[in-house]
Amino acid sequence: MPKRIPRYTISFFSKNQPVFYGLLLLVVFFIPFYSFLGDFHERFMYISIMSMLYIVLALGLNIIPGFTGLLDLGFVGFYAIGAYTAGLLTLKCAALGPPWDILSNYWVIIPLAALNGALWGILLGAPTLRLTGDYFAIVTFGFSELVVLVIVNEMWLTRGPMGLPGIASPGIDLTFLYPITRFFFENPIVYSFKGRVPFFYLILFMMIVTIFIMNRLEDSRLGRAWFAIRDDEIAAECSGINIMRYKVIAFAISASFGAIGGSFFARWFGFISPVSFKFWESILILCMVVLGGMGSIPGVILGATVLVSLSEILRQVLEPWPDLVQARYALFGIILILMMRFKPAGLIPLSRVKRVMSTKDETILQTMNESFFSVSTDRKKLSKDR
Amino acid sequence: MSDTILNISELSKFYGGVRAVDDVSFDIQKGEILSLIGPNGAGKTTLFNCVTGLTNPTDGRVILDIDGRDKIISSKKQAFKPVIKPDRINALGIARTFQNIRLFNTLTVLNNVKVGRHALTKCNFFGAVLRSRSQQEEERSTLRQSIKHIVFVGLEEKILDIASNLSYGDQRRVEIARALASEPKLLLLDEPAAGMNPKETSDLMNLIRRIRDTGITVLLIEHDMKVVMEISDRIVVLDYGKKIAEGKPENIRNDKKVIEAYLGTD
Repeated sequence: MPKRIPRYTISFFSKNQPVFYGLLLLVVFFIPFYSFLGDFHERFMYISIMSMLYIVLALGLNIIPGFTGLLDLGFVGFYAIGAYTAGLLTLKCAALGPPWDILSNYWVIIPLAALNGALWGILLGAPTLRLTGDYFAIVTFGFSELVVLVIVNEMWLTRGPMGLPGIASPGIDLTFLYPITRFFFENPIVYSFKGRVPFFYLILFMMIVTIFIMNRLEDSRLGRAWFAIRDDEIAAECSGINIMRYKVIAFAISASFGAIGGSFFARWFGFISPVSFKFWESILILCMVVLGGMGSIPGVILGATVLVSLSEILRQVLEPWPDLVQARYALFGIILILMMRFKPAGLIPLSRVKRVMSTKDETILQTMNESFFSVSTDRKKLSKDR
Repeated sequence: MSDTILNISELSKFYGGVRAVDDVSFDIQKGEILSLIGPNGAGKTTLFNCVTGLTNPTDGRVILDIDGRDKIISSKKQAFKPVIKPDRINALGIARTFQNIRLFNTLTVLNNVKVGRHALTKCNFFGAVLRSRSQQEEERSTLRQSIKHIVFVGLEEKILDIASNLSYGDQRRVEIARALASEPKLLLLDEPAAGMNPKETSDLMNLIRRIRDTGITVLLIEHDMKVVMEISDRIVVLDYGKKIAEGKPENIRNDKKVIEAYLGTD
């Protein structure tokens, strides 16, 4: 029978992990109803939406430096591609009339933007992922600058620096279900997003889906292949992992999350211009990943929340001194330097996330107990034979 | 020949003027433990790298023969002819460990071993996200098999430890478990006993024997002569890239050329 059971214990937090996360979600879910915040509520909603948008982006970027171990300085390129995919499809296809106007529907645009992002991720990644380390980072940096240059110069399509104004808000149009819904409602159900609340729930939903996907990827054959590449490429290769292939897959998935974030940004703001996709935006997202802890999902979520809220709160606090508002990014620099000095692995380092036992691990122990008996008797038999 | 698993013929690898491996030929028989020995810099690890596809030989070829079909897995690089990459070679049934341990240091022992099963599973992005029933079954079997191999090398107590926190001997065993997890027909061990104490070494010898008993052929590089003489079925000796002797341990022990290579001539 099992003689030696691993000396692992499950902490109170990890045992009740689903409860904690459920409570947190409940708190976040009711943010639109926090009227006790008074005048600050509008602002708070804005910060929440921004935070969640950047959580989606940072989690998408996290796949590259955090999971696969490549430095990516051009993530904002994919963000821009997603935003312009959404903006252009909305503006141009709505004018074409049926059947093409279906392409201006946001629910159709989301997968299209993701696919477009993934396509460019593959086009950029396939030839350049042979490069290692800093050289690859330079290529990605060049790519993001290129995207912005194309947007600025192709006036006929993107209106250049003037940007794309008047992108319609997404809506829910259930007219095609009218034959069914007319039994319950007099008019076809058509709802257009107004104000911040519907956008809040849209991005909340996107964020939950992203976190869900990331958690699943982390604990899968794909995720393990990425971690293996991050830790030791040669050993990964000799363990049967096609390195190029998995790097390109990582790049494509990361890019599609960037593009989804971009498509939300375009439909939410209603106005996009090349100014929103400057290089420092890439750095900001990378900072969120580094601040939270590379490769650790809770860390990245916390990092994005902290940096976005800090930026917005500082903007509010420094309002009387307009010069200082622009200088608030200097504070980010100081924070990062201090972090690198005192907590280089991030706010919630990956090693801690891994060390804390989760409920998943209970199944491991269980399976071990089941299989231990048969294996240990096999071993005894083997040694007797010899 | 049906009982040969790997045929190395006229294999050479030159780095500029250095002849790391020079016209070496030998066969590995199914189910044996073959040791590859030689002084430092004799080209043993380079030969391993040629077999596992990490480098391309300058000349010659390596033929893998599993279930009666010959397959050239490594040969001189030619234009318009794709090179077989290490990951393909692993999928064909050759696994290896490394001289300087190469583990996935931030992963747990279990995940290290799970990575070894990569070539035997095929879950993709959508499978990972949606987790259909067949994917769950695959993941469960990965877990079961990985645990089996961890128990086989005797690391069940440390299954959830981070690999870099283990002792040297345990890290070696994780590496072996990872290689075994890909269910190879041929296992290449590069100096597994380096830096081990006598107790660990004798455990290791038992482990290598047990691996052989499960039907896996073992090709071993080792400097510890006690280990080599005790467990090898046959020994191949390299010196300055050339094969200088091949045969049973007792013959090698008395071979004049081998003694010369190790001790020098008068």
